[in-house]
Amino acid sequence: MLALLCCAALAFVSANADSLSHFERTYSPSGTARLTLSNINGTIHVSAWDRRTITVRANTAPSVVINDLLIDNDITVTVKRDFRLGRADFDVSVPPETSLILKNVMGDIEVRDLNGHLNVNSIDSNVRLIDVNSPSVDVKVTTGDIFFDGALHEAGAYNLQSFKGDIDVTVPESTSFNLTARALSENISLGSFLSNLSGASRGPKGVTGSYLKGGPRLILTAYAGRILMHKK
Amino acid sequence: MIMVCTQCQELLSDYIDGTLELGEQAHIERHLSDCEPCRAMRDDLLQIVHFSHRLPEHAPSAALWARIESDLAKEQPIGFKARAAAFWLRLRERHFNLSIPQMVAAAAAFVIVISVSVIAFRRDTISTSNTLAESMHVSPGQVQPLANPDMEQLEQQINQLSETVEQKKNAWNPELRAAFERNLLYVNQSLVECRHQLSDNPSDDVSQELMLNAYREKIRLLEGFKSF
Repeated sequence: MLALLCCAALAFVSANADSLSHFERTYSPSGTARLTLSNINGTIHVSAWDRRTITVRANTAPSVVINDLLIDNDITVTVKRDFRLGRADFDVSVPPETSLILKNVMGDIEVRDLNGHLNVNSIDSNVRLIDVNSPSVDVKVTTGDIFFDGALHEAGAYNLQSFKGDIDVTVPESTSFNLTARALSENISLGSFLSNLSGASRGPKGVTGSYLKGGPRLILTAYAGRILMHKK
Repeated sequence: MIMVCTQCQELLSDYIDGTLELGEQAHIERHLSDCEPCRAMRDDLLQIVHFSHRLPEHAPSAALWARIESDLAKEQPIGFKARAAAFWLRLRERHFNLSIPQMVAAAAAFVIVISVSVIAFRRDTISTSNTLAESMHVSPGQVQPLANPDMEQLEQQINQLSETVEQKKNAWNPELRAAFERNLLYVNQSLVECRHQLSDNPSDDVSQELMLNAYREKIRLLEGFKSF
């Protein structure tokens, strides 16, 4: 009986292993690269490392087709659109200065330690940006929380928008910025940043103003969710 | 499990409140993606929820409560005033469990009364096209264009994209369809909210900006799903 159960378990494990495909590519751009990754259903984790190469790995459902293209320093990795919605979970390692364009329909997105430009465009995703030091960040999701913990560049633009989720921003206390915060839910909490906003217009749905000497443009837009700001 | 309309309609209120479990939510979204009457009912309920948030709270006066207490203490036969007070008391303590048609009918009656009042009150200052009565006839999925060329253009683009997506979505995986419906619902809720805030205060720049942005988001959403 025990042997029978073991056989059944082994068969189950091997069947599951067979049901996943693996994708892996390593690219060696000659200069600062731009990576565009378009997924449909699944997670995207990107972290910076100290190598000059870019590695893209994914575990996917067998039905998923991934196309990739390298032209000069532009790398494009695309999950082919298919109404079956097969899952693909990506794990990507890039040099810190890489510019990233991440697109998804469903599945959480996490980016760590990036210094390059960052653009995230998804429908149903929680987005976590951790220790980012990017000159520009643009995140748009329909559903999902956006968490930003990083630094702002002096002439940078940082645009975070969610229709159904919270926007949570943590920046160093000494960071200057020009803030435009809009929340249809009338739920904006700027913590101690609020008291030092100059030239501020403050309404229940919107706050604009400069913190310290201004500079980077920080634009936060939430509809059915909160805007929260914290000092690091 | 296939959900029928009656089951869907029983759960719609909880669905809008966001209190359903994930499985039930997925079932209802699957049904909504295929059922126009239930979608229309969902849209009506969304309107009701929106307006119910704006209703003033009415409570009987302190004097009335004092009389109720006094009546109860004396255990006298209940007169007309006390019956009215008892009615308020029951109303206050009662947990309403109305069916959806009852809710819709009650809300419709309320809205008609409010609309007539609003029209009468604002007749001199606001054109008829902007009245609450008319805005109430707009379902979240078909938000009327404002008199702003940008918004009209966006609205046209949305209508074209919606037609394309509607034609394609029957072939989609149910999970994809449910995701589309859910996200479209959120954007439409935001559009309805923006529209009502603008209706209350047409010069509110923030609402105007949020509304334009919500239109753009609807386009982004539809374009994202158009290619499936």
